[in-house]
This record gives sequence, structure tokens and C-alpha cells, in this order.
Amino acid sequence: MDPLAPLRTLGGRLTPPAEALAQAIAERVIGLVVGALDVNALLAETDLNAVLEQVDVGRVLDRVDVNQVLDQVDLERLLDRVDVNRLLDRVDVNRLLRTVDVTALIGRVDMNQVLQQVDVNEVIGRVDLDAVIDRVDMNAIVQRVDLEALVEQTDLGSVIAKSSSGMASDAVDAVRSRTVGIDESIARLVARLRRRPYTGPPGPPAGLWTGAAS
Amino acid sequence: MTAHAGGVMPVEPPPAARESLQGHYAGFASRFAAFVVDLVVLTGIFVLVLAAINFMASVLTGKSIYFNQGNTWVLVAYVVWAFIYFAHFWGLNGKTAGGALFGLQVVTNDGGDVSGRRAIGRTLAFPLSFLILCLGFLGILLSDQRRALHDAIAGTVVIYSWDARAARLRFLSRPRYSAPRPDRPAGIGPPTDPAR
Repeated sequence: MDPLAPLRTLGGRLTPPAEALAQAIAERVIGLVVGALDVNALLAETDLNAVLEQVDVGRVLDRVDVNQVLDQVDLERLLDRVDVNRLLDRVDVNRLLRTVDVTALIGRVDMNQVLQQVDVNEVIGRVDLDAVIDRVDMNAIVQRVDLEALVEQTDLGSVIAKSSSGMASDAVDAVRSRTVGIDESIARLVARLRRRPYTGPPGPPAGLWTGAAS
Repeated sequence: MTAHAGGVMPVEPPPAARESLQGHYAGFASRFAAFVVDLVVLTGIFVLVLAAINFMASVLTGKSIYFNQGNTWVLVAYVVWAFIYFAHFWGLNGKTAGGALFGLQVVTNDGGDVSGRRAIGRTLAFPLSFLILCLGFLGILLSDQRRALHDAIAGTVVIYSWDARAARLRFLSRPRYSAPRPDRPAGIGPPTDPAR
């Protein structure tokens, strides 16, 4: 027979009541200590910044499964509680936009993909073309057209050539052009003799149809 | 200017034709050239008429009529014919044959059509420009409106009535002028003959 067996039996019987007693005493002591502590004063004396500096936030975040956290968040419910208008009122949009590099932003946009999603026909259908045309100065546009290049480089030239009378009109145009050139030469010579600047042929008469005289 | 394959250079339009002078006062050379053409035309018609009269007389009477420049009646007839010629055409549309050829038109000072009465006045005043040693034509060179003496008397001016710009467009539309351009896409533009 083991001589220590009676002692082990006694110890086994005394351990639970002793643990219960120790726990009760500890709770009581903690309660007394907490009651005696001024937590606010303690926090005031604590340098939280120094504490946070010692915390490796990155390492903490690495250990956090953000996706799992977000899965548990009811965003709909959260957003329901957010007054978006009030939030936006507090946002200085202009200041926000100033910090945005619009060029870089546009550079990252795949315009082809965007345009593929646009129903151009529907967009055009919503445009008031009459109003647009009313705002267009057609005369100014026509003035910008290089008619001579147009005639030279397109079939319009051949159309004009076919519509005009050919050799006879060519000859008449040539004769007229030559005599007008001589007119101008004489006028320049006379102006030089009179020591006056020559600014081109005078006219047209005030009452002449200006459209023909342009 | 680009040379064609055949070595023929495309004709460059004169600088004066590069802008429309339609409505501007006509210069001395154009007016003088138009007058010369008018003289040729009216003299030619007059000679033809005299020849016709001579022919008719020879057929009807068997005797020819000999006209010579010293004959007073011939001279008077010529002056009357010239008066009718100019007065008629200036009053009709401001263009004689020579004026039409050179693109000239007689209009009033303010650009209106010339009435018959004004055309007659201009025709009657026309010789005055010659009778004072042609000094009446100096106004074409010196005055702002390029008016001769008979223009000042009749209250008329002479303008270019042809559109130089349209003429230039016609000129450019000619295949012989339109040189092939390396930057022109195939199939666009007037037909060009590479052999030119």
C-alpha cells in the first residue's frame, strides 16, 4: 500500500474548495482594486501615442481577414443609417476635384469600351438638330472652305469643266485676265508716278449689287 | 508648279484672275481693247453693208457704186452708224461687243442700269474725249472712279462685269491644269493624262 495514498486522497478532496475560495478572494480583491482605481486619471496619465507607436498596425492588419469582417457587415443597413446628403454637404467637391488628375484619369478610361455601350442613335435622336443648325453660321463655314482646292482635288472640277463651254470660254477668260493684269500694271505705274500708294482696283459703285461685286 | 511627264508645264493663271474683280472700275487697257474691238466690229459691219449696197446696185442697175473714204455721205453714214451702235448697246444692257468680250459694262454712278437717254448722252459726249487731244481719257488713269470725260458728263462708270473667281475655278477644273498630286487618293480628282 502506498503510504502517500491517504494524503493524495485528502489533497484531491481539498483542492476544489480551495480553488473556489481562491477565486472568490481574487474576484473580491479585483473588485476592490478596480473600485479604488480612477480609470480616467489613469488614461490621462497614459501616453497613448507612445503606446500606438509600439503597436505594429501593419502586422495587426495582416492578421485581420478584412474580407471576413466585411462579409459580416450589413452594408445596406449601414448605408440606411447614413445621411448621404448631409455627408455630401460637408464635402468640398471643388477641393476634391482639384486634387484629381483628370488627364491621367481619362487616360485610364477605355473610350472604345465606353462608346460601345453608348447607343449613338438614341443620343442623336435626343438632339434637336434644328436648334443646333440654327446656331451654326453656315456662311462662316463656307468662307472657310478652300474652293480652289476642292475644285482641284475632287470630281467637282470635272463637273464644272463639263458644264462650262470649253475652249471658247477658256480663251475669253485668258484674254480678260491678261487685260486686267495690264490694267493693274498701268494703275500701279500711274500710282508710282503720282507717288501714291496703290491699294488695288477701286470700286464697286455704292449702289451696285454687292453680292456680284464681292 | 510641277512639270508633267511630257514636259508641258501647266499654265498658271495670272495673279489678277485669282480674285474676283466683278463690280470694280475697269482700267485703261481693258477699255481701250474693248473700244478697238468695237471699232473693228462696227467698221466691219459698215463695210459689209456698203459692199451689199454696191452688189445690189450692180445687180439692179448694172453699175457699181464706188465708195471712198473722202465721200462725205459715207463719212456721215459711218458716224451715224457708230452713234447707233454705241447708243443702242449701252442703252440695252451697258455692253457693246467689245465690252462683252472683255467683260466690261457701263452703269450709272451708283451702279444702276443705263437708261436710253443717258446712253445717248454718253454717245454724244464720247467724241469730246477725243477732240481735246484725247485728254478726256486721262480721267481713266487719274480719277478714283476711273471715269473719262464722257463718263463724267453722262454720269456713268465702267465696271468689270465678269467673275474672275469663277473663271479661275473653271481654269483649275481643266484636266490639263490639274497636275496629279502624290497625296491625292486614287480615284479622286479630275482625270489627268500622264502623257501630257
